[in-house]
Amino acid sequence: MLDLLLRFQAMDRRWVFLGMAISIVVPMLLPFNLPFKVDGRVQDLYDRVEALEAGDAVYISADFDPGSRPELEPFFRTHLHHLFRKDVRVVMGTLWPTAPPLVKPILEEIAGEYDKEYGRDWTFLGYIDGRELAIKSLGQSVRKTYPLDDRGNKTADLPVMLGLDAIRDFDILTSVSAGFPGTQAYVLQIQGQYNLEMASACTAVSAPDYIPYYQSGQLFGLSGGMPGSAQYEKLVYADTPEENRPRLAATSGMNVLSVGHMYIIVLLFLGNLAFFLTRGGKED
Amino acid sequence: MDLLTITGIWISIFLTLAILSFLYDDNPIYKFAEHLFMGVGIGIGTIEIYYGVFQPKLLRPLLEEHRLLSLFPLLLLVLLFAKVTRKHQDWARIPIAFIVAAFAGVKLTGEANGRLVEQVRASMPDLQTLYETNGWWDWDNGGAGVISGLVLVLGLCACLLHFYFSTPHNKPMRAISRIGILTLMLSFGASFGFTVMGRISLAIGRAEALLGLDQPNSLIKLGSMEVHRMTATRWTTVGTMLLVILSIAWLKRRAANSAEAD
Repeated sequence: MLDLLLRFQAMDRRWVFLGMAISIVVPMLLPFNLPFKVDGRVQDLYDRVEALEAGDAVYISADFDPGSRPELEPFFRTHLHHLFRKDVRVVMGTLWPTAPPLVKPILEEIAGEYDKEYGRDWTFLGYIDGRELAIKSLGQSVRKTYPLDDRGNKTADLPVMLGLDAIRDFDILTSVSAGFPGTQAYVLQIQGQYNLEMASACTAVSAPDYIPYYQSGQLFGLSGGMPGSAQYEKLVYADTPEENRPRLAATSGMNVLSVGHMYIIVLLFLGNLAFFLTRGGKED
Repeated sequence: MDLLTITGIWISIFLTLAILSFLYDDNPIYKFAEHLFMGVGIGIGTIEIYYGVFQPKLLRPLLEEHRLLSLFPLLLLVLLFAKVTRKHQDWARIPIAFIVAAFAGVKLTGEANGRLVEQVRASMPDLQTLYETNGWWDWDNGGAGVISGLVLVLGLCACLLHFYFSTPHNKPMRAISRIGILTLMLSFGASFGFTVMGRISLAIGRAEALLGLDQPNSLIKLGSMEVHRMTATRWTTVGTMLLVILSIAWLKRRAANSAEAD
């Protein structure tokens, strides 16, 4: 046994990677369904969006890039479906230069599915530089921060912007954030100052940093990583017949995630066991 | 599905496998993919900054609307490039001073408003309200309740006292300090868990793309025959994987042979 554990400790790290690849690919090829519960943070986010009425306005700051796509795109898509289904006006901008090629086609595609008209029901304002300074400026006036939208129209002339200028004119601010600048910068710069109703969808890595903002009430809802996206999908498509649902990317990834976690736990257990047993042996 | 889309899928599969090949060993194919990624990222960023910042914020106000005030940011921009000359590099301090001052001011007010005041307030939970809402421990609400509130307060105090060095760490202080360390370890463990989850999620995203699970399984035309998208993607993945493995083996052998010859 001790010999086996010693060999385990000296094992080439590439076997660990191969094991991880197998634990990801096999559940994908042989799918099964493990149940999962909806967290209070995601439920609160869903409930607040559900409470919106037709004609209300939501500002989405889509601050992510292809590197965080598997975690955030499922939430982003589901959130847009949720908002357009409720006939809510959607205004979207981004603080990440690499975001527009990713987020713009998704917004156009989903708005098209609901026959929403550009400029009247939704708009994409594009990328704005300046990080926290841009966020501060958005707090004062969206129209001045973005004099023109992504298509070159005057933002102030768009019907979707009727009655909307400062960020507090929007009913909800959703930050889909893969890091900096993102949720944290919005919370620190304008959420408290203007008492905004703000929700966040963030990567799993950022979730521990943002949970205190939810607990303090600075965020009314928080979706963390792929599990958060899967829980949100579960809530939004609860009443949708399976044949009418789009592909729920995060939900289908949850089983794989569970198997991957089990693999890491087994490795941690064996690694620690080997360490403590062999350390004892060396001391003797 | 047109040829452009199919080519896009092939490139995506090749680049994913090229990056993943680093897990085996550093190799020229990985380096190629890494440099390509850097170049494309910088290219996209540059274009977005030109059309998102330079054009609407500087060029249009200056050239079309003739706003002379826009000369000021232009001047600061020019001064920033003085850094590249030895003789006039001190001029670059002026725009840098503007940037530092603006960001320091913005950061300071943001931290004070958003983090300090709000988080200090949130770290003093109202136990009466907690008891009325969640009781001692609410399993359905992530363990919220009076016990969690007490753990938060005691853990926070223990952590703060662990970093308090103006008093010698005698026996009671050592005990409190240990609780502080335990709390910190729990928080590091939670962060590590979330990080692992995030990394596995990213791996899932790429594995879905390699197995053709990320798009609807529609029929695509390849010349005269029709195949399902998923089948085509999987065969492409297997073929590309073989190609990458053989290329790495060939490159490694060539490098070994040339080292031997030297």
